[in-house]
Amino acid sequence: MSAVRSESTPVLNARNLSLGFGRTTVLTDVDLTLHPQEFTAVVGTSGVGKSTLLRALTGLIAPHDGEVTIPARRADASRAWSMVFQAPRLFPWRRVRANVELGLEGLGLSRAERRRRAMEPLALVGLEEYAGRWPHTLSGGQQQRVGIARALAVRPQVLFMDEPFSALDAITRRRLQQELVELRRRTEAAIVFVTHDIEEAVSLADRVMVLGGQDTGHPAGVIDTVEVGLPLDGRRDHPAFSALVQRVEEMIA
Amino acid sequence: MTTLSRPRRVLYSALGVGVFLVLWELTLRSGLLPGTLVPLPSAIPGVLWLELSDGIWFEVVGSSLAHYSVGLLVGSVLGILVGVSAALLPRFDAAHAWLARLLRPIPPLAWIPFAIIWFGVTPTAAAFIISIGVFWINYFASYSAVRSVDPGYDEVARAFGQHGFLPRLAKVNLPAASPGILGGLRAGLGQGWMTVVAAELFGIPGIGQRMMEASSLLATDIVVVYMLTIAALYALLDFVFMLFQRRMLRWQP
Ligand SMILES: Nc1ncnc2c1ncn2[C@@H]1O[C@H](COP(=O)(O)OP(=O)(O)OP(=O)(O)O)[C@@H](O)[C@H]1O
Ligand SMILES: [Mg+2]
Repeated sequence: MSAVRSESTPVLNARNLSLGFGRTTVLTDVDLTLHPQEFTAVVGTSGVGKSTLLRALTGLIAPHDGEVTIPARRADASRAWSMVFQAPRLFPWRRVRANVELGLEGLGLSRAERRRRAMEPLALVGLEEYAGRWPHTLSGGQQQRVGIARALAVRPQVLFMDEPFSALDAITRRRLQQELVELRRRTEAAIVFVTHDIEEAVSLADRVMVLGGQDTGHPAGVIDTVEVGLPLDGRRDHPAFSALVQRVEEMIA
Repeated sequence: MTTLSRPRRVLYSALGVGVFLVLWELTLRSGLLPGTLVPLPSAIPGVLWLELSDGIWFEVVGSSLAHYSVGLLVGSVLGILVGVSAALLPRFDAAHAWLARLLRPIPPLAWIPFAIIWFGVTPTAAAFIISIGVFWINYFASYSAVRSVDPGYDEVARAFGQHGFLPRLAKVNLPAASPGILGGLRAGLGQGWMTVVAAELFGIPGIGQRMMEASSLLATDIVVVYMLTIAALYALLDFVFMLFQRRMLRWQP
């Protein structure tokens, strides 16, 4: 499978990335290449720089050093990338559906098309009936799901997800994890998925990028990138699953 | 402090006004105060009726409202325009900061000499004076409202392809700042109305001029009629605007 992948052109390429704020460097020497349909999980302790990494990969902040290439927007009504933010950050002055439509504006879609494209992912996250609500009338987890729908609506080539399921109950989380597995099969999108839940990372991803190794005055880096290599179906019950989870856990500890 | 139920509050408020009016009437009738200083409250409705049936009331209120609405419109539009621009354009902000600090403390009425020199004793002069106070209120309110918009919203907008200055102005800055901007508009509505009378004192037809006329004839009852008119019109305007404000901000918790 990896042979097939290396033949296709990558959708994202980051070389030697080094990032931080002002004079402090948070994370150094990150290399990352993503191909269509690849699912990369990023794990690491709180404050290691996972969210900052996503911002740098998308160009929301400029890296201190290194290069990122991300594809241009295609001619169809989609976007090169989109992001599920760690805090949902819905626009409180827009109703739920209008929030999901945000990324669809400026893509040359008609009103009706925009509406349809927004309702689809809302149904996927189980919030169809909430389309007409104001965000503040939603629970934290529901708001987070709207944030997921907003990112899916633009059919990105690279989908960045920053701890998207951390605010959800175990049942909803498992259901959305399942949906994400389904989504991978249906779309070309490459996914970068930040989580602090190592089981979640190993159960969903093709590979897990482990960040860490920071020390006083010494920025964090990539400890290792673990190829999962287990079939997606019934992965959690695979005999090698828990050993892999444990291996990643030990890297971080 | 214990709170009263709503009907009880209304009851006590009405009682307060009633007692005040009765005491006022009694002080005059008992000869404790000479009738030349203040009119009898019981005489006011009759005087109001005279002013109304003469058509004088409609004439002076009409011209005051005309000065007021022109001054309000010009002051609000310019105030918001300059305030929002200053908040978003650092060069413009820096370029005009000292000028604004210099001009701000000058009270609207101090502009009367210039108003007369520039516009003569005309309705335009009154509108100009009114617009000054309204301008500053809207300028500061919209400036600080836009400055305090959570930059996180802007990041979301950029993440979803809304890059241009105008899309972000329309989709993020203005709606996010709208509570503050509307608050400024409402304060300006009051401030402008307060300056109407003063702006007309030097001979521009309107409520102010009518009051000066009446006072030179010691017609205190007419003065009181217009004082009450000013209060009632303000209450009405403020109420209508409050409804508009509430509708615009119905997305707020
Ligand atoms: N705007 C900022 N200015 C300065 N430092 C920042 C800023 N944002 C984050 N940091 C610092 O950068 C480091 C990485 O932050 P980041 O949000 O990327 O962590 P994270 O790995 O996503 O953590 P978590 O799992 O808690 O979300 C932290 O030490 C944080 O204090
Ligand atoms: Mg984070």
